[in-house]
Amino acid sequence: MEEHKTAQSFTVPIGPQHPALKEPSHFRITVDGEIVKDAYVRLGYAHRGIEKATESRTWTQNLYMLERICGICSHIHGMTYCLAVERLAQVQVSARAQAIRVLFAELERIHSHMLWFGVTAHEAGFDTLFMYSWRDRETVMDILEELSGNRVNYSANILGGVKFDVDESRVESILDGINFLEERTHYYLEVVSTDALFLQRTHEIGTMNRREAEVLGTVGPTARASGVNRDIRIEAPYAAYDQFPIQITLDDSGDLKARVLVRLRELFESYRVIRQILKNLPSGDLTVRMPRRIQQGETVLRVEAPRGELFYFIRSNGSDTPDRIKVRTPTICNMMSVIKLAVGHQLADVPMILAGIDPCFSCNDRMVMINQSNKTSHRWRWEELRQHGINYYQQRTA
Amino acid sequence: MESTIISNELRNLFSLVVFPGGCFLILLGLSYEWVDRKLLARFQNRIGPRWFQPFADIMKLLSKEEVIPDGVDRRLFIGLPIVALTGALTAGLYLPILGVKTTFSFPGDLIVTLYMLSLLTLCMGLAGANTLDRFSLIGASRTLTQLFSYESPFLLALLGPALFSNSWQISEIIAYTDGRWLMLTQPIGFLVAMIALMGKLELPPFDAPEAETEIVAGALTEYSGRGLALFRLGKGVELVIGLTLVSTLYLGGIANPLTFFLKTLALLLIIVVLQALLTRLRIDQTVGLWWRYGSLLVLLQWLILILLQGSAT
Repeated sequence: MEEHKTAQSFTVPIGPQHPALKEPSHFRITVDGEIVKDAYVRLGYAHRGIEKATESRTWTQNLYMLERICGICSHIHGMTYCLAVERLAQVQVSARAQAIRVLFAELERIHSHMLWFGVTAHEAGFDTLFMYSWRDRETVMDILEELSGNRVNYSANILGGVKFDVDESRVESILDGINFLEERTHYYLEVVSTDALFLQRTHEIGTMNRREAEVLGTVGPTARASGVNRDIRIEAPYAAYDQFPIQITLDDSGDLKARVLVRLRELFESYRVIRQILKNLPSGDLTVRMPRRIQQGETVLRVEAPRGELFYFIRSNGSDTPDRIKVRTPTICNMMSVIKLAVGHQLADVPMILAGIDPCFSCNDRMVMINQSNKTSHRWRWEELRQHGINYYQQRTA
Repeated sequence: MESTIISNELRNLFSLVVFPGGCFLILLGLSYEWVDRKLLARFQNRIGPRWFQPFADIMKLLSKEEVIPDGVDRRLFIGLPIVALTGALTAGLYLPILGVKTTFSFPGDLIVTLYMLSLLTLCMGLAGANTLDRFSLIGASRTLTQLFSYESPFLLALLGPALFSNSWQISEIIAYTDGRWLMLTQPIGFLVAMIALMGKLELPPFDAPEAETEIVAGALTEYSGRGLALFRLGKGVELVIGLTLVSTLYLGGIANPLTFFLKTLALLLIIVVLQALLTRLRIDQTVGLWWRYGSLLVLLQWLILILLQGSAT
């Protein structure tokens, strides 16, 4: 009897260092044979204190800091921050700059979704698809490099506009790249919806119905794959999305296959919008002048990052540094769905379910200190936080 | 008189250690491993390793420190890789490697060869179960589960030609299959043998026992240095032997080095294409595939063949 009990509570640790994880995070999967009985997640290995660090840097310096929250969606963080600060400062940015921001955002979505597609194929053990999709992803990386000079951290935004213009001479080669990618996306769509063995790993695996998706607070493509009709680009158009509207991509089945299909179909919307922007690029200056000190106030901005809803709260006290910046990335919203969905599946499905939400761990690691017993909260200064980190690790190693 | 005994002993020693067994098999195994890796890489749009990469890997592993983790049985931990490689090499003794007629033969050596081939998998399973590592334990259970699922179809598929030649001695089966492409008369057996061989070698899509995204390196997670090198050598040898076995029994035999390379490399090509095309199966799907389809299909073929043979005579 005792032996039976221990066999039931056999836990498999995944992470913080594990080949399935590209970033540190810890999952404790309790299995009975191959069936997952319980799952537990511990986040926070890549906490970098960025929110706190922004409070001791100027508005301009913070742009470069926030772009580095995420390696894959660097533009969306920069853009959201700029949009929010411009709203606080009541500065009107030119239509051309806004359109170029959307252009970069959609190119970034393509590059992020292609990357995710490859990772998912790899988790399923279909390395050929992984290699192919990453090869094709190079096309969009090249386009981004052509536009900005950089492949990953394009840093296209500045407060009051964008740095890079799109000249006529480049439009042709961008369109060529987009045409190629569209053709390849059609091919991948066919592969994932017809390949019998790939379907065995995705069809009706990790199914989450609409109600569950809403209760678990999922966002972005993960939620849309369960039929939740929510896309910030449509709900609350920002930048130039009111001139270049997006059509929502939905799927009702809510399984892993739906998540793959939704992301791939979303790419077609991105291709369409990019073509539209390149065709009807409004004229105007790239930048407008921004004040060095931002007037007092606070604002909230939501945008649709490749992984889902990205939330920014910014408060200014009228100085040249922000008083508080709060970022909520989509991964933290989707993480609970992994823990919930993994239970009852096979151990082999767990990496697939985890990859299904397109996790980005460094983005979501935050620190909150709440003293519940006496309901006091303590605000830490940057130096204190830094000292705490040093002490903490010294104690651990001692 | 005495000199002939000595020269006989020397000849036996030579064929055990140098050619066709021993060193030659190991070298051939590493070369085939390179062909496998290179072709797979090219199919996946990668450059792939240079020709000496498998050799370099083995040299590196052999020269590294072997870490023996806490909580293992040391004798088993060190002994298992040796037994595994020995088993694989022994299996090669009864086969016409490179088309050279083997010096070792006795009635029933086909069965011995097949069991020697399973020894490697068995050792890997034991090696995984020997450690306390949780990835190894799950890997070991998957390795052994997979062993039980493909082993019987593989055996049945390879006994098909034996049934026809009325002998379980490889040299006699060869005499029968020489020039007869049993692949054409027993297509199901050939197919099952090929796919079971992939399962035996834990190649994709049957690589659930070492699925790196779930359980790191499976049963061999705790192995490093010499032990890992021996296991990898064993796998290379098993690849060559498996290919030789299938091409002897199903592809009209092996008469000379040229046909040996042509036939085994053609089979390797098929294996690589399948590796590139298919998604990894979960372990329950693997078991289902073998017991629901593999075994039944082979048995069906046996039934048909026996009936046909019966009506012919």
